[in-house]
Amino acid sequence: MSESILKLEQVSYRYPDGTCALDRCSLQIGTGSRTAVLGANGAGKTTLFLHLNGILRPAAGQVCWHGTPLEYSRSGLRELRSRVGLVFQNPDSQLFSASVREDVSFGPLNLGLSEAAVCELVGQALQAVGMAEFTDKPVHNLSFGQKKRVCIAGVLAMQPDVVVLDEPMAGLDASVQRELLHVLDTLYTNGMTIVIATHDLDFAYGWADQVIVLQSGRLLAQGRPEVVLEHPDVAEELGALPFVAELTRHLALNGIDLCDKGYQPRSRHDLLTALGARSNQEEKP
Amino acid sequence: MLTEQSAYSNRWRRITPVAKGTFSLCGMIAAFSCASSTAALAVALVIATATILGAGVPILCYLRIAVPALFFLLASGLSLAVSVDFSSTLPAGTVLRLATSELPRVAYICSRSLACLAALLFMTMTTPLTDMISLLRRCHVPDTLLDLMTLCYRTLFVLSEATRETMVAQSARLGYSTLRISLRSLGGMIANLALQVWQRSQALHLAAQARNNDGALRFLEPDYPDAPRSISIATAAGGIMIALTLALP
Repeated sequence: MSESILKLEQVSYRYPDGTCALDRCSLQIGTGSRTAVLGANGAGKTTLFLHLNGILRPAAGQVCWHGTPLEYSRSGLRELRSRVGLVFQNPDSQLFSASVREDVSFGPLNLGLSEAAVCELVGQALQAVGMAEFTDKPVHNLSFGQKKRVCIAGVLAMQPDVVVLDEPMAGLDASVQRELLHVLDTLYTNGMTIVIATHDLDFAYGWADQVIVLQSGRLLAQGRPEVVLEHPDVAEELGALPFVAELTRHLALNGIDLCDKGYQPRSRHDLLTALGARSNQEEKP
Repeated sequence: MLTEQSAYSNRWRRITPVAKGTFSLCGMIAAFSCASSTAALAVALVIATATILGAGVPILCYLRIAVPALFFLLASGLSLAVSVDFSSTLPAGTVLRLATSELPRVAYICSRSLACLAALLFMTMTTPLTDMISLLRRCHVPDTLLDLMTLCYRTLFVLSEATRETMVAQSARLGYSTLRISLRSLGGMIANLALQVWQRSQALHLAAQARNNDGALRFLEPDYPDAPRSISIATAAGGIMIALTLALP
């Protein structure tokens, strides 16, 4: 894996009501990677994300940014939060202003940028998420998916190096999910590190470079999706294998081996392409 | 919601709130400087015409928004026009009398109030609250007050949606089938909403921190094309209106 941009070393955190949300959790996120964080409800995904942005401070252990332990001073947090953008699960918990343009401008203005620079960043961010035409719309007239995109724009306008998204696909229909995925892929292509919490095994298997699986606040596994998500302990914790992995395995048992020289289909598209290539080969004399 | 709808969809939506605020203020000054009911009614008519024909607010929408305020104006007018006579010798004792001598004064007060109402309706029906907040910010209204306005305005929609969803969920389980159950459901909903307000305020606080906020909420001021021209026109129109009311008998 590439050099880690964010790293947790033996991080523990307990909420005031006594719930242990993270328990000696150690993991790392590579620079420019796509990371999916999986785990049952209450496994500690949101708590982990709040640590990555410096909202929560570990009770024990440390969070490192480019290998250096985080500084929880005013300036240290300011620097971290300008580098790590956090998109919350519920857009209504993130959107302050009733105007799209105003809300997106909130973060960059907090960075102390000039109005002209903020204006340009707001335009670029709304363009990036495909919401440029909604600039002057009131937030309360937007759909759930549009609100989510405004939330992402609000973070992108701060030009972070890492975007952390808490279950961004939850509650979205398939076409909006596809559009959002396209936005994330563009950001990834531009070199941004993306971390996503999700319950969608198939999405994590096909999209991520690495997956992190949490279990009751502890790290259960971390690594490449085709290694981690097919591990029996992980499959048991998450309740299933990814559909493509299960089908590939089933086909292999029936004599149709689609894995070739380390290649393994990870998405439906990969699977269909591999099946098509195989049937073409068989048709040739 | 009707006011919201009109504020966002009228023809003058993109005109600077400074111009609209100036015209509205001039309208109120004109209303107070009127010497007669006729002049005050004329001011009300001019401002209402500007709202309906100029800004393009549909007349039905205008009337629906104005009706509650007009009702209060009517009630106030009636209370001024009618006097209670405690010294009556009639067997009923106390009687209500129409104070005929006061009628011209009542008409004068009501017509001036109507003109002021028209000026305020002009502002609210043509200007979204976000624009008004930016206008108040220019007027150096304290940040804390404006932050509260911003958050309350946004939360209003979030909570109205939560209220609607809770009521639907309660109704689906017969929560409003009898008066007694309705009261119980209503109480439950209010308690639940109070909790939600607290939770949402916590969530908004976290979201503000995550985007590097450490004090007042700062937002980009909206851009308005041809702002100086709009302000000049509004000032001229407002000035003429005041001059005419001063000239009218």
